[in-house]
Amino acid sequence: MPEEEGGESLIHVAIAAEDLFVIGPLHFTNSMVGALMASALLLVGAWWFTRRTSLVPGRMVSVLELPIELMSGIVSASSTRWRGYIGLILGFFLMILVANWIGLLPGVGTIGITHIDEAGHEAVIPIVRPASADLNFTLGLAIVAFVMFVYWGIKANGGGGYLKELIGEPRYMAPLMFPINLISEFSRLISLSMRLFGNVFAGEVLLATMIALAPIIIPAVFLGLEVLFGFVQALVFALLAMTYIGTAIAEHHAAGHGDDDHGAEPDAGHASHSPAADAAAA
Amino acid sequence: MDSNLAAGLAMGLGAIGPGIGLGIAVSKAMEALGRNPEASGAIFVPYILGIALAEAIGIYALVVSLLLIFVVPGAA
Repeated sequence: MPEEEGGESLIHVAIAAEDLFVIGPLHFTNSMVGALMASALLLVGAWWFTRRTSLVPGRMVSVLELPIELMSGIVSASSTRWRGYIGLILGFFLMILVANWIGLLPGVGTIGITHIDEAGHEAVIPIVRPASADLNFTLGLAIVAFVMFVYWGIKANGGGGYLKELIGEPRYMAPLMFPINLISEFSRLISLSMRLFGNVFAGEVLLATMIALAPIIIPAVFLGLEVLFGFVQALVFALLAMTYIGTAIAEHHAAGHGDDDHGAEPDAGHASHSPAADAAAA
Repeated sequence: MDSNLAAGLAMGLGAIGPGIGLGIAVSKAMEALGRNPEASGAIFVPYILGIALAEAIGIYALVVSLLLIFVVPGAA
Protein backbone atom coordinates (compact mmCIF):
# COMPACT_ATOMS: atom_id res chain seq x y z
CA MET A 1 0.00 0.00 0.00
CA PRO A 2 1.65 3.21 -1.12
CA GLU A 3 0.36 5.34 1.74
CA GLU A 4 1.94 3.03 4.30
CA GLU A 5 5.40 4.07 3.19
CA GLY A 6 6.25 5.74 6.48
CA GLY A 7 5.49 2.48 8.24
CA GLU A 8 3.55 4.15 11.05
CA SER A 9 1.21 6.42 9.14
CA LEU A 10 -1.97 6.94 11.15
CA ILE A 11 -4.00 7.61 8.04
CA HIS A 12 -5.11 4.36 6.52
CA VAL A 13 -6.79 4.92 3.18
CA ALA A 14 -7.11 2.31 0.46
CA ILE A 15 -8.61 3.38 -2.83
CA ALA A 16 -9.70 -0.15 -3.75
CA ALA A 17 -11.76 -2.39 -1.57
CA GLU A 18 -9.63 -5.02 0.12
CA ASP A 19 -10.21 -8.74 -0.10
CA LEU A 20 -11.44 -10.45 3.03
CA PHE A 21 -11.26 -13.91 1.51
CA VAL A 22 -11.27 -15.45 -1.94
CA ILE A 23 -13.58 -18.25 -3.06
CA GLY A 24 -12.44 -19.38 -6.50
CA PRO A 25 -12.95 -16.44 -8.87
CA LEU A 26 -14.96 -14.44 -6.31
CA HIS A 27 -13.01 -11.90 -4.33
CA PHE A 28 -15.12 -11.20 -1.30
CA THR A 29 -14.22 -7.61 -0.43
CA ASN A 30 -15.05 -5.54 2.61
CA SER A 31 -17.22 -3.18 0.56
CA MET A 32 -19.36 -6.17 -0.38
CA VAL A 33 -19.98 -6.66 3.34
CA GLY A 34 -21.10 -3.02 3.49
CA ALA A 35 -23.41 -3.47 0.51
CA LEU A 36 -24.86 -6.69 1.94
CA MET A 37 -25.41 -4.97 5.29
CA ALA A 38 -27.25 -2.14 3.57
CA SER A 39 -29.38 -4.60 1.59
CA ALA A 40 -30.15 -6.64 4.69
CA LEU A 41 -31.06 -3.54 6.65
CA LEU A 42 -33.37 -2.38 3.87
CA LEU A 43 -35.01 -5.81 3.58
CA VAL A 44 -35.55 -6.10 7.33
CA GLY A 45 -36.74 -2.50 7.40
CA ALA A 46 -39.19 -3.16 4.58
CA TRP A 47 -40.48 -6.30 6.31
CA TRP A 48 -40.92 -4.46 9.60
CA PHE A 49 -42.44 -1.49 7.83
CA THR A 50 -45.10 -3.47 5.97
CA ARG A 51 -46.08 -5.29 9.15
CA ARG A 52 -46.49 -2.04 11.04
CA THR A 53 -48.32 0.04 8.47
CA SER A 54 -51.79 1.07 9.42
CA LEU A 55 -54.06 3.97 8.68
CA VAL A 56 -52.65 5.90 11.62
CA PRO A 57 -48.88 5.38 11.49
CA GLY A 58 -46.90 5.12 14.68
CA ARG A 59 -44.05 7.46 15.49
CA MET A 60 -41.27 5.24 14.12
CA VAL A 61 -43.19 4.50 10.93
CA SER A 62 -43.78 8.22 10.39
CA VAL A 63 -40.06 8.90 10.72
CA LEU A 64 -39.28 6.21 8.17
CA GLU A 65 -41.94 7.59 5.87
CA LEU A 66 -40.34 11.04 5.82
CA PRO A 67 -37.61 10.41 3.20
CA ILE A 68 -39.98 8.28 1.13
CA GLU A 69 -42.58 11.04 1.17
CA LEU A 70 -39.97 13.63 0.20
CA MET A 71 -38.75 11.58 -2.74
CA SER A 72 -42.13 10.48 -4.00
CA GLY A 73 -43.30 14.09 -3.89
CA ILE A 74 -40.40 15.10 -6.10
CA VAL A 75 -40.63 12.13 -8.45
CA SER A 76 -44.37 12.37 -8.97
CA ALA A 77 -43.92 16.01 -10.02
CA SER A 78 -41.20 15.16 -12.56
CA SER A 79 -43.31 13.77 -15.39
CA THR A 80 -46.68 12.23 -16.08
CA ARG A 81 -45.16 8.77 -16.37
CA TRP A 82 -43.61 8.80 -12.92
CA ARG A 83 -45.34 5.56 -11.92
CA GLY A 84 -43.03 3.66 -14.27
CA TYR A 85 -39.79 4.64 -12.59
CA ILE A 86 -40.60 5.77 -9.07
CA GLY A 87 -39.63 2.37 -7.68
CA LEU A 88 -36.22 2.56 -9.30
CA ILE A 89 -35.56 6.11 -8.10
CA LEU A 90 -36.71 5.36 -4.55
CA GLY A 91 -34.60 2.21 -4.62
CA PHE A 92 -31.51 4.19 -5.62
CA PHE A 93 -32.20 6.76 -2.96
CA LEU A 94 -32.77 4.36 -0.07
CA MET A 95 -29.92 2.04 -1.02
CA ILE A 96 -27.37 4.83 -1.33
CA LEU A 97 -28.65 6.55 1.79
CA VAL A 98 -28.39 3.41 3.90
CA ALA A 99 -25.03 2.45 2.37
CA ASN A 100 -23.64 5.92 3.08
CA TRP A 101 -24.89 6.05 6.62
CA ILE A 102 -23.68 2.56 7.46
CA GLY A 103 -20.20 3.88 6.68
CA LEU A 104 -20.53 6.39 9.52
CA LEU A 105 -21.34 3.85 12.23
CA PRO A 106 -18.61 3.41 14.83
CA GLY A 107 -16.37 0.46 14.15
CA VAL A 108 -17.00 0.32 10.42
CA GLY A 109 -13.56 1.44 9.28
CA THR A 110 -11.73 0.49 12.45
CA ILE A 111 -12.59 -3.11 13.33
CA GLY A 112 -10.67 -5.39 11.05
CA ILE A 113 -8.27 -8.20 10.45
CA THR A 114 -4.58 -7.46 10.87
CA HIS A 115 -2.26 -8.91 8.32
CA ILE A 116 1.27 -8.35 7.10
CA ASP A 117 1.32 -6.74 3.67
CA GLU A 118 3.92 -7.26 0.95
CA ALA A 119 6.19 -4.54 2.32
CA GLY A 120 6.27 -6.30 5.68
CA HIS A 121 4.20 -3.72 7.54
CA GLU A 122 1.28 -4.65 9.71
CA ALA A 123 -1.96 -3.35 8.23
CA VAL A 124 -5.57 -3.61 9.23
CA ILE A 125 -8.18 -4.68 6.70
CA PRO A 126 -11.51 -3.28 7.91
CA ILE A 127 -14.26 -5.88 7.86
CA VAL A 128 -16.87 -3.38 6.72
CA ARG A 129 -16.26 -0.62 4.21
CA PRO A 130 -19.05 1.73 3.15
CA ALA A 131 -20.29 0.30 -0.13
CA SER A 132 -20.33 3.62 -1.99
CA ALA A 133 -16.64 4.18 -1.23
CA ASP A 134 -16.03 1.44 -3.79
CA LEU A 135 -16.18 2.35 -7.47
CA ASN A 136 -17.62 -1.09 -8.31
CA PHE A 137 -20.76 -0.40 -6.32
CA THR A 138 -21.36 3.11 -7.68
CA LEU A 139 -20.55 2.03 -11.24
CA GLY A 140 -23.02 -0.83 -10.88
CA LEU A 141 -25.73 1.57 -9.77
CA ALA A 142 -24.84 3.97 -12.59
CA ILE A 143 -25.03 1.16 -15.16
CA VAL A 144 -28.51 0.32 -13.91
CA ALA A 145 -29.48 3.99 -14.21
CA PHE A 146 -27.90 4.21 -17.67
CA VAL A 147 -29.72 1.12 -18.96
CA MET A 148 -32.96 2.46 -17.53
CA PHE A 149 -32.78 5.88 -19.13
CA VAL A 150 -31.80 4.43 -22.48
CA TYR A 151 -34.69 1.97 -22.07
CA TRP A 152 -37.11 4.78 -21.28
CA GLY A 153 -35.81 6.84 -24.20
CA ILE A 154 -36.37 3.94 -26.58
CA LYS A 155 -39.72 3.10 -25.01
CA ALA A 156 -40.98 6.68 -25.34
CA ASN A 157 -39.56 7.50 -28.78
CA GLY A 158 -38.96 4.12 -30.38
CA GLY A 159 -35.52 2.93 -31.47
CA GLY A 160 -35.56 5.27 -34.49
CA GLY A 161 -36.57 8.26 -32.38
CA TYR A 162 -33.80 7.55 -29.91
CA LEU A 163 -31.28 7.32 -32.74
CA LYS A 164 -32.64 10.54 -34.21
CA GLU A 165 -31.96 12.29 -30.91
CA LEU A 166 -28.40 11.02 -30.95
CA ILE A 167 -27.92 12.29 -34.50
CA GLY A 168 -29.23 15.74 -33.66
CA GLU A 169 -31.36 18.26 -35.48
CA PRO A 170 -29.58 19.50 -38.65
CA ARG A 171 -28.99 16.16 -40.34
CA TYR A 172 -25.81 17.27 -42.15
CA MET A 173 -24.12 17.89 -38.78
CA ALA A 174 -24.48 14.21 -37.90
CA PRO A 175 -20.80 13.24 -38.40
CA LEU A 176 -19.88 15.84 -35.80
CA MET A 177 -22.85 15.63 -33.46
CA PHE A 178 -23.32 11.87 -33.31
CA PRO A 179 -19.99 11.13 -31.57
CA ILE A 180 -20.48 14.10 -29.27
CA ASN A 181 -23.96 12.97 -28.27
CA LEU A 182 -22.78 9.42 -27.86
CA ILE A 183 -19.95 10.56 -25.61
CA SER A 184 -22.30 12.75 -23.60
CA GLU A 185 -24.58 9.75 -23.05
CA PHE A 186 -21.69 7.72 -21.72
CA SER A 187 -20.26 10.61 -19.73
CA ARG A 188 -23.44 10.50 -17.65
CA LEU A 189 -22.48 7.00 -16.67
CA ILE A 190 -18.99 8.12 -15.68
CA SER A 191 -20.09 11.26 -13.87
CA LEU A 192 -22.89 9.53 -11.94
CA SER A 193 -20.58 6.85 -10.65
CA MET A 194 -17.58 9.11 -10.10
CA ARG A 195 -19.60 11.73 -8.25
CA LEU A 196 -20.93 9.29 -5.69
CA PHE A 197 -17.65 7.44 -5.32
CA GLY A 198 -15.60 10.63 -5.15
CA ASN A 199 -17.81 12.22 -2.52
CA VAL A 200 -18.03 9.22 -0.23
CA PHE A 201 -14.38 8.30 -0.65
CA ALA A 202 -13.30 11.90 -0.07
CA GLY A 203 -15.48 11.88 3.04
CA GLU A 204 -13.68 8.76 4.26
CA VAL A 205 -10.29 10.34 3.62
CA LEU A 206 -11.42 13.53 5.35
CA LEU A 207 -12.60 11.61 8.42
CA ALA A 208 -9.43 9.52 8.54
CA THR A 209 -7.30 12.66 8.29
CA MET A 210 -9.27 14.47 10.96
CA ILE A 211 -9.17 11.52 13.34
CA ALA A 212 -5.41 11.30 12.83
CA LEU A 213 -4.94 15.05 13.39
CA ALA A 214 -7.29 15.59 16.31
CA PRO A 215 -8.73 12.38 17.77
CA ILE A 216 -11.24 13.98 20.16
CA ILE A 217 -14.31 16.24 19.57
CA ILE A 218 -13.28 17.71 16.17
CA PRO A 219 -14.03 14.56 14.08
CA ALA A 220 -17.59 14.67 15.46
CA VAL A 221 -18.18 17.90 13.54
CA PHE A 222 -17.07 16.23 10.34
CA LEU A 223 -19.13 13.14 11.12
CA GLY A 224 -22.17 15.40 11.32
CA LEU A 225 -21.17 16.92 8.00
CA GLU A 226 -20.84 13.45 6.50
CA VAL A 227 -24.35 12.56 7.65
CA LEU A 228 -25.58 15.55 5.67
CA PHE A 229 -23.37 14.73 2.66
CA GLY A 230 -24.48 11.11 2.66
CA PHE A 231 -28.07 12.27 2.43
CA VAL A 232 -27.35 14.89 -0.23
CA GLN A 233 -25.40 12.45 -2.38
CA ALA A 234 -28.18 9.86 -2.24
CA LEU A 235 -30.61 12.60 -3.19
CA VAL A 236 -28.37 13.85 -6.00
CA PHE A 237 -27.91 10.40 -7.52
CA ALA A 238 -31.63 9.67 -7.40
CA LEU A 239 -32.58 13.10 -8.74
CA LEU A 240 -30.07 12.93 -11.58
CA ALA A 241 -31.26 9.46 -12.58
CA MET A 242 -34.81 10.81 -12.44
CA THR A 243 -33.92 13.84 -14.57
CA TYR A 244 -32.12 11.72 -17.15
CA ILE A 245 -35.15 9.44 -17.44
CA GLY A 246 -37.42 12.49 -17.51
CA THR A 247 -35.49 14.12 -20.35
CA ALA A 248 -35.34 10.82 -22.23
CA ILE A 249 -39.13 10.81 -22.16
CA ALA A 250 -39.65 14.53 -22.62
CA GLU A 251 -37.36 15.01 -25.62
CA HIS A 252 -39.90 13.04 -27.58
CA HIS A 253 -42.54 15.61 -26.71
CA ALA A 254 -40.34 18.54 -27.73
CA ALA A 255 -39.43 16.88 -31.02
CA GLY A 256 -43.12 16.46 -31.78
CA HIS A 257 -43.29 12.86 -33.00
CA GLY A 258 -46.82 11.54 -32.99
CA ASP A 259 -46.24 7.84 -32.37
CA ASP A 260 -46.93 7.91 -28.66
CA ASP A 261 -50.03 8.97 -26.80
CA HIS A 262 -48.59 9.65 -23.34
CA GLY A 263 -46.63 12.81 -24.01
CA ALA A 264 -44.70 13.82 -20.91
CA GLU A 265 -44.76 17.36 -19.68
CA PRO A 266 -41.26 18.79 -19.89
CA ASP A 267 -41.75 21.23 -17.03
CA ALA A 268 -44.18 19.49 -14.71
CA GLY A 269 -41.95 20.32 -11.75
CA HIS A 270 -42.58 24.00 -12.18
CA ALA A 271 -46.20 23.66 -13.09
CA SER A 272 -46.95 22.14 -9.71
CA HIS A 273 -45.96 25.36 -7.99
CA SER A 274 -47.75 27.89 -10.11
CA PRO A 275 -49.18 29.83 -7.11
CA ALA A 276 -45.64 30.51 -5.97
CA ALA A 277 -44.68 31.59 -9.49
CA ASP A 278 -47.65 33.97 -9.53
CA ALA A 279 -46.51 35.42 -6.23
CA ALA A 280 -43.06 35.99 -7.71
CA ALA A 281 -44.53 37.87 -10.62
CA ALA A 282 -46.56 40.13 -8.34
CA MET B 1 7.21 13.08 -5.50
CA ASP B 2 6.37 14.88 -8.72
CA SER B 3 3.04 13.17 -9.02
CA ASN B 4 2.20 13.99 -5.40
CA LEU B 5 2.81 17.65 -6.18
CA ALA B 6 0.72 17.26 -9.32
CA ALA B 7 -2.06 15.66 -7.31
CA GLY B 8 -2.09 18.54 -4.85
CA LEU B 9 -2.09 21.08 -7.66
CA ALA B 10 -4.83 19.24 -9.54
CA MET B 11 -7.09 19.20 -6.50
CA GLY B 12 -6.30 22.75 -5.41
CA LEU B 13 -6.67 24.36 -8.82
CA GLY B 14 -9.56 22.13 -9.70
CA ALA B 15 -11.48 23.24 -6.63
CA ILE B 16 -11.41 26.91 -7.63
CA GLY B 17 -13.98 26.65 -10.40
CA PRO B 18 -16.55 24.53 -8.57
CA GLY B 19 -16.10 26.72 -5.50
CA ILE B 20 -16.99 29.85 -7.45
CA GLY B 21 -19.80 28.04 -9.23
CA LEU B 22 -21.29 26.69 -6.01
CA GLY B 23 -21.06 30.12 -4.44
CA ILE B 24 -22.99 31.66 -7.31
CA ALA B 25 -25.59 28.88 -7.28
CA VAL B 26 -26.19 29.07 -3.54
CA SER B 27 -26.29 32.87 -3.47
CA LYS B 28 -28.84 32.95 -6.29
CA ALA B 29 -30.93 30.26 -4.63
CA MET B 30 -30.89 32.15 -1.33
CA GLU B 31 -31.81 35.36 -3.14
CA ALA B 32 -34.72 33.60 -4.77
CA LEU B 33 -35.79 32.14 -1.44
CA GLY B 34 -35.56 35.55 0.21
CA ARG B 35 -37.75 37.09 -2.44
CA ASN B 36 -40.25 34.28 -2.48
CA PRO B 37 -40.06 31.79 0.41
CA GLU B 38 -43.06 29.84 -0.92
CA ALA B 39 -41.10 28.78 -3.98
CA SER B 40 -38.72 26.62 -1.93
CA GLY B 41 -40.28 23.43 -3.29
CA ALA B 42 -39.88 24.55 -6.88
CA ILE B 43 -36.33 25.77 -6.31
CA PHE B 44 -35.12 22.72 -4.40
CA VAL B 45 -34.78 20.15 -7.18
CA PRO B 46 -33.09 22.36 -9.84
CA TYR B 47 -30.89 23.76 -7.07
CA ILE B 48 -29.69 20.33 -5.95
CA LEU B 49 -29.12 19.29 -9.57
CA GLY B 50 -27.18 22.45 -10.38
CA ILE B 51 -25.05 22.03 -7.31
CA ALA B 52 -24.39 18.40 -8.17
CA LEU B 53 -23.30 19.33 -11.69
CA ALA B 54 -21.00 22.09 -10.44
CA GLU B 55 -19.58 19.81 -7.82
CA ALA B 56 -18.91 17.09 -10.37
CA ILE B 57 -16.06 19.21 -11.77
CA GLY B 58 -14.43 19.21 -8.37
CA ILE B 59 -14.92 15.46 -8.18
CA TYR B 60 -13.17 15.07 -11.53
CA ALA B 61 -10.20 16.93 -10.07
CA LEU B 62 -10.33 14.61 -7.07
CA VAL B 63 -10.38 11.56 -9.33
CA VAL B 64 -7.41 12.87 -11.30
CA SER B 65 -5.44 13.48 -8.14
CA LEU B 66 -6.37 10.06 -6.78
CA LEU B 67 -5.18 8.53 -10.02
CA LEU B 68 -1.96 10.48 -9.72
CA ILE B 69 -1.41 9.24 -6.18
CA PHE B 70 -2.50 5.63 -6.42
CA VAL B 71 -2.24 4.57 -10.04
CA VAL B 72 0.69 6.40 -11.62
CA PRO B 73 3.74 4.14 -11.12
CA GLY B 74 6.48 5.47 -8.94
CA ALA B 75 4.11 7.72 -7.04
CA ALA B 76 4.19 8.35 -3.30
